[in-house]
Amino acid sequence: MPRVDLLDSECAPITVQQYFANGDPGPIVGALATVPELLEPTLGFVGAALGAGAIGVRYKEFAILRTSVLQGCDYCIHAHTAVSLDSGLSTTEVRALRGEIPLEAGFALESERSLIGWIDALAGATGPVPDDVWSAARRHWGEHVLVELTVTIGATMFLNRFATGLQLPTADHVLERLTTEGLA
Amino acid sequence: MTDTIAPSDTVADAVRSGELPGRVWLYSNYNCNLACSYCLTESSPRSERRQLSAEQMIAVAEQAKNLGFTALGITGGEPFLIPWLPETALAMAESLPLVLLTNGTLFTGDRFERAARLAHPDIALQISLDSHLPDVNDMARGPDNFAKVVQAVPLLIARGVRVRIATTVSGALDDPLLDPLKQLVASLGVREDDHLIRPIVRRGRADEVGLGIRAVARDIPNELTITADGAFWGSFGPTVRSGRLDTDLLLTRTILPLAVPAAALLAASRGMPAGTDARLGIR
Repeated sequence: MPRVDLLDSECAPITVQQYFANGDPGPIVGALATVPELLEPTLGFVGAALGAGAIGVRYKEFAILRTSVLQGCDYCIHAHTAVSLDSGLSTTEVRALRGEIPLEAGFALESERSLIGWIDALAGATGPVPDDVWSAARRHWGEHVLVELTVTIGATMFLNRFATGLQLPTADHVLERLTTEGLA
Repeated sequence: MTDTIAPSDTVADAVRSGELPGRVWLYSNYNCNLACSYCLTESSPRSERRQLSAEQMIAVAEQAKNLGFTALGITGGEPFLIPWLPETALAMAESLPLVLLTNGTLFTGDRFERAARLAHPDIALQISLDSHLPDVNDMARGPDNFAKVVQAVPLLIARGVRVRIATTVSGALDDPLLDPLKQLVASLGVREDDHLIRPIVRRGRADEVGLGIRAVARDIPNELTITADGAFWGSFGPTVRSGRLDTDLLLTRTILPLAVPAAALLAASRGMPAGTDARLGIR
C-alpha cells in the first residue's frame, strides 16, 4: 500500500491536470501531484536525466536498472527490468545488471564493464569514489558520457528513494509480464 | 523556481484589468464552534485547527499589497476561536482593506470586547444569517444561532464596527421570500449593500448531503486563497469531503512568498475558459 494518496484525474490539482488527461499517469505522477508546483520541474529533470540523451537508451538502462538494484528499490527494478528488455537488452544482460549472475557472464566488453564499475562506485557506496574506477571508465568513455551517466545515476537514486519511501506500487501488468519472463 | 514567480507588475496588471480578482482570502483555521449543514470545509468543534500563524497572515497581507492585490478576506472555520486574531487583523489592515467572516455567535464578554476593537475604516465583519425565521436559520446553523447574531450585530455597529451580513440560500437569489430577511437585516443597522446573498455551493459537507449548486473551477471566482494546506483557486477551493481535503483546486503547497501561488493562479487562469461565476452569483 502506498503511504500517500495517489491522486487521480478527479482530484488532480488544477495546475497539473494535463498530466492526467490521457489516463492514469502512474504512481510517481500521482504522488508528486500532491505538491503540484514540484511536478513539472521534477518530471522535467527526471525525464531529461533518464531519457535517451546523448549516450543512448542502452547505457541509460545500465545506469537506471543497476542503480535501482544497488539501492534496493523494488518499484524501479520491476519497471526498468521491463524497460531494459524493451530497449533491447538481453535477459542475460538484465540478470547480470540485477546481480543474479556474474557481470562477466553478461558483458564481454571491458568498456561496458567499466561503465558499470562507475555506476557501482557511485550508487553502491558512500564517500569518495576511487580514482582507479574513474580512470578505468575514462579509458573508454568521454567526460560528457560520464557526466551524463552520473546525472542519470543521481536522478535514479532520487527516484529510488521516492518510490521506496512512499511505497509506490508496481503496476499489475508489469508484474504479470515479469512473472511470465521469470524476472519477477 | 524563480522563473515561476510572477513579477509584481504582472499580477498588478492582471488585477487592474480584472483578469484576477483583487481579494486574497486566508483560511485562518478550520475548526469551528458550529457544524453547519452546508459547510464547505466540514468545520466543527472536532475539526483539526490547521491554523495559519499570525506571522504568515501578516506576511500574506504585506506581500499581497506589494504584488498589486487590493483587498483581503479572512475566513475559516471560525476565526474568532483564535485569541490573537483581532490584533492580527488590525495589523493586516495596515496593508489592505479586510473583510473578516465570522458566525457571530461568540461575541459575549471578553470576546465581544476584542471584536469591538475592530472598529476600523478598513475592516468589516461579515456575519452569516440565513433566515428571518429563527427555527429555519438554526436548523442549518445550530441552536440559538439566530438569537446570538441578532443580538451581536447592533451592539457591534453601536461600537463603530462595520458589519456585513451574508445569507446562504438553496433557492433563487432573488426569491421574494427573502424580503422579510432583508428587512430584518436593515433593522439591525446593516446597510443594504452590505447584505450579501449567495448560493450554497455543492462542495464539502453540502456535497455529501446533496445541497447547493454544482460548480467547477471556471464557475468559481479565481480569488487567490491561502490555507495551512497550500494555496487554492478561489475561496471555495479548499473544501473537505469525508474528512479529506479536496485537491482539485489546489494551486501550490507553497504559500510564501505569495508570488509563487499568485503566478500559478495567473497561469491557471489563462488556461481556463470563461466561466459562469457571475450568473451563478458565487461569492
